[in-house]
Amino acid sequence: MKRQIKTFSTLLIALMMMVTVLAACGSSNSDKEKSTGTDTSTDTKSTDTAADTGGEDKSADAGKPDTSKKVQLVWYLLGDAHKDTPKVVEEWNKMLEKDLNVTVKLNFTTWTDWTTKYNLLLASGEKIDMIFASSWADYYKFANQGAFMPLDDLLPTYAPETWKSVPEQDWKEATVNGKIFAVPATYPEYTPDGIVYREDWRKELNLPEIKDLNSIEAYLDGVKKAKNVTPINGKAYNEIFTMFKSYNNYQQIGGDSGVVVAKSYDTPRDIVAYPFTTEFEQWAHKMKEWKDKGFWKSDTLSDQKEAGDAIKTGQGAVYWRNAPGAGGYIMGLQTSNPDIEMGYFPFSRFNNLTMPTLSVNNAMAIPKSAPNPERSLMVLDKLRNDPKYYDLMNYGLEGTNYSVDTTDSKFIVSPPAGTPKDDKDHTAYGVASWGYRVESMERVKQAGGWPGFDALLEEFKSQSKPNIFAGVLMDYAPVKSQQAAVNSVIQQYGMPIMMGLVPDVDKAIANYRKQLEAAGVNDVMDYIKEQANKYFDSQGIN
Amino acid sequence: MKIKMEKTTIVFNAIGYVIITILAVLCLLPFLLIVSGSFTPEMEIVAQGFKLIPKQFSLDAYSAAFSSPKQILDGYKVTVLITLIGTMLGLFLTSMAGFVLSRKEFKYKDKLAFFIYFTTLFSGGLIPWYIMMVKYLDLKDSYLALLLPGLLSAWNIILMKNFMKSIPESITESAKIDGAGEFTIYLKLILPLSTPGLATIGLFMALGYWNEWFLANLFITTESKFPLQFLLYKILASAAVLKTNVAGNLSPDFQPPAETLKMAAAVIATGPIIFLYPFVQRFFVKGLTIGAVKG
Amino acid sequence: MKSMFQELNRNKVLFLMIAPALLFFIVFSYVPMVGVYYAFTRFSFDGGLFGSEFIGMKNFEFLFNSGVLWNLTKNTVLYNIAFILISNILQLLCAIFLSELPGKLFKKTTQSVMFLPFFVSFVLVGAFVFNLFNSDNGVINTVLQQLGMQPYDFYVHTAPWKYIIVFFHVWKGLGYGTVIYLAAIMSISDEYHEAAKIDGANIFQRVRHIIMPMLVPTFILLILLSLGGILKGQFDLFYQIIGNNGMLYNSTDIIDTYVYRSLAVNFDIGMGTAAGLYQSFFGFVLIITVNFIIRKVRSDYALF
Repeated sequence: MKRQIKTFSTLLIALMMMVTVLAACGSSNSDKEKSTGTDTSTDTKSTDTAADTGGEDKSADAGKPDTSKKVQLVWYLLGDAHKDTPKVVEEWNKMLEKDLNVTVKLNFTTWTDWTTKYNLLLASGEKIDMIFASSWADYYKFANQGAFMPLDDLLPTYAPETWKSVPEQDWKEATVNGKIFAVPATYPEYTPDGIVYREDWRKELNLPEIKDLNSIEAYLDGVKKAKNVTPINGKAYNEIFTMFKSYNNYQQIGGDSGVVVAKSYDTPRDIVAYPFTTEFEQWAHKMKEWKDKGFWKSDTLSDQKEAGDAIKTGQGAVYWRNAPGAGGYIMGLQTSNPDIEMGYFPFSRFNNLTMPTLSVNNAMAIPKSAPNPERSLMVLDKLRNDPKYYDLMNYGLEGTNYSVDTTDSKFIVSPPAGTPKDDKDHTAYGVASWGYRVESMERVKQAGGWPGFDALLEEFKSQSKPNIFAGVLMDYAPVKSQQAAVNSVIQQYGMPIMMGLVPDVDKAIANYRKQLEAAGVNDVMDYIKEQANKYFDSQGIN
Repeated sequence: MKIKMEKTTIVFNAIGYVIITILAVLCLLPFLLIVSGSFTPEMEIVAQGFKLIPKQFSLDAYSAAFSSPKQILDGYKVTVLITLIGTMLGLFLTSMAGFVLSRKEFKYKDKLAFFIYFTTLFSGGLIPWYIMMVKYLDLKDSYLALLLPGLLSAWNIILMKNFMKSIPESITESAKIDGAGEFTIYLKLILPLSTPGLATIGLFMALGYWNEWFLANLFITTESKFPLQFLLYKILASAAVLKTNVAGNLSPDFQPPAETLKMAAAVIATGPIIFLYPFVQRFFVKGLTIGAVKG
Repeated sequence: MKSMFQELNRNKVLFLMIAPALLFFIVFSYVPMVGVYYAFTRFSFDGGLFGSEFIGMKNFEFLFNSGVLWNLTKNTVLYNIAFILISNILQLLCAIFLSELPGKLFKKTTQSVMFLPFFVSFVLVGAFVFNLFNSDNGVINTVLQQLGMQPYDFYVHTAPWKYIIVFFHVWKGLGYGTVIYLAAIMSISDEYHEAAKIDGANIFQRVRHIIMPMLVPTFILLILLSLGGILKGQFDLFYQIIGNNGMLYNSTDIIDTYVYRSLAVNFDIGMGTAAGLYQSFFGFVLIITVNFIIRKVRSDYALF
């Protein structure tokens, strides 16, 4: 018996030792950093106070930020690191150590299952000092559920420059339940939906200029007949759905509100569930016509192909893009298919209306459990306002990742001048830095430098009206089961109707409406109306 | 009599060959398509779908996948290490547990079996498990996070118990009479006699570790610790995201990798394992085991 | 109590041997299981698990009030039954053939080849399926047209998908499951076969009277192991093959895909856990019942 136990234990111990070595290997790095982080060096006060604030003003009542303790922060950005990121972060940490006595471990969520990960990071209460936040990453929901730390009291002391420079309206959009929970990026953008289309074919076939729904239809028809291609070849749902919303001037409220919308920008309190409107019936019939004419394929809802890829192989003509995305696509096409000329039609032209994106479209927030929020804010402040920091983190190392544009020193050229054209090693440096972009500090042009974009931007600015819908706080808690059921109904019945795939449109619509009511769409609508009206009252909107 | 046996054997063989061949072809075909797809230029796939032999041959997908060879090498290193250690340790622990459960006289075997099986029925969900790993076990960014969760599984243990139960009791009886203790019986008798079972479970564990990416996704933040499959999934996920709304926010000169990249990724990740299987196969030889040990 | 200690002492070594496994499950499965409580709360980050507000069964409402629960459950159960039965039977057959057929090289190659689908991720399966069945240049429709027949619009009709889905599920697990049965066959002592041959049994008889009976425990075991998950589906399989095509949902939607869609817009921890609990509970009741029945029939086939 004893001998057995001995043999057993020896074997077990041997294997365990292997495992421990593995564990030790893995954690030795992080241990090293942790120890430097926690040692409290006391007598560096004199050098620090000179370096820390670098000549910024301090507000009268708060004391001087204390940087006597060396601290290691943990930050999370969305997306992937670039292969040069470790080098860049090393440089950044050198500067940070000197200026603020702090180092940052920069982590990335990668794009794999990022919503799950993002949820886990916040729900688990991990020690994170700053994390990317955004209205499209459920900023409002998380803020309302208490995932983030309120920043109102910390901002004036620890991020004074940012506090002063960010416009009042932006802070308002970041406010939830009376408190500010994130620092929005200062990068006003217009991202209306629209379609890119083959302009060269339009010219060739003498089709009318695209300026409204009829001309779009004429274009699709002409291309289909003459070129014998499926104009929207691939996933076509986004093209049609965004067109539908913009054409009817339907406004979603508080993010994605499903089928409940405000009937138009000018009548924000007229809130309906659009499947019950006559406009929807008309649209559904039209889409059936379009589908029968062959503008897209019958298996479009299962197709994973991007219509934009089909354009590149000459098998498609139209692709849904928002404005900056269109710029990126068109610029990309100039390298891959220089013989194709593309045009862009933004859907904002249906009703001559654009709204700027929310300030918290990209922002940085601090989770509730952060151990060093003050120091984090100080780093953010430096990052946003000091050109040395900004250029380093946004563009990389000068000489390696970019060089200054010789024609206009405000801009940079990437890859650096002098790189041979087919050098595959150089990929543009970029990380998910949108959370701390500041327009005035930017050194690259929007939309990938697409020349057509400047004119569009002017057009958008001229039609711009304040975004009164996105800020309505919706957490759907009292109606969440109805909302979930409604979502499912939309997917199952609404999408095929939208794509004209149903054999009998009227019957399908009747059924769709019945299903929606059974799922509780009226409860959801009442909830949204209530929240919206409350919000409009508080903002003084009629 | 001899002729009769041959006839039925011939019929049996005929049916057998036909069925197995059909199944094998059905299994091979898609894989061939993937391999050929990985060597095709992207645009050809978009235009014409998958084909057995590409019109044009291209290594683009592979050069995109290997754009950072150091990363791939690191990935291989991590994966191989974790697979080896995990499989060995896991096999050891699993076989011991299976052995215990297979011992007829052990009064608690059914209760413990239920205790283990129950874990497959109910789960608290992702969040509590994540909190356990990160907060209480402090496994964030550690190799152990990749190793530990896969060590044991109820499925494997119960399967192993099943294999062990088929070993005739006479063998263990006589050993006990000779005064051998439980652990010795396990080590010197049962293990050698369970080679098919060990090979099977070992194979499954190795495959499980090799294919693992989810754990890395959740817990590993240092690039050099990413296992192979995760690296490849990462590339695919970046491609997928760039096609969604989020893309509007990204730097417009991000070039999304493509269908062919998915396929090259599959080939790179699968390749080595395919060579493992024939190696493991030799444990599935009949009569290696029982016949040798006679009461 | 005293007898338990006696038992413990007598089997000290056995307990020690299984101790690491027990510890493992306690740490990684049982402790996190308290998270099931989320299903009854409205999650808030401040409160965490026990501080969040208790809301009873409210999280379950989206499942029960939707009116589709019956259809979803039916689909999930039927698909799983088809998966379990067809997979196991086919794997059993393959294992028998692979063990009895002559020709080592043939067997080795085919066995390795049958493993390949296991490595093909469902993402690729989805792409592959689309390539086969799409109305434009899908392989099937191209062949139909070449034979002079009308092309068939697969993605609009619900009928064929049951078979397509079952086929791909079976296809993917073929090699994997066959190995288990093969290993079980290998453990059958040669003595039995020799004795049978001497008695004049031909191969069909040997299969029927020796191999099959020896495989029954494994067969039942594998089925029992799968039963606990009867309401849980292969999410990836369905999601990648069907995608967002609402027209096919009636016959191909399972609980997992439904829940995923419902929570896609507004991810809710409480509701997600509630759905999981519903699935688990059902499976639990089922397996306890079936195991009980099997125990009565032949106690050593039972799982526990």
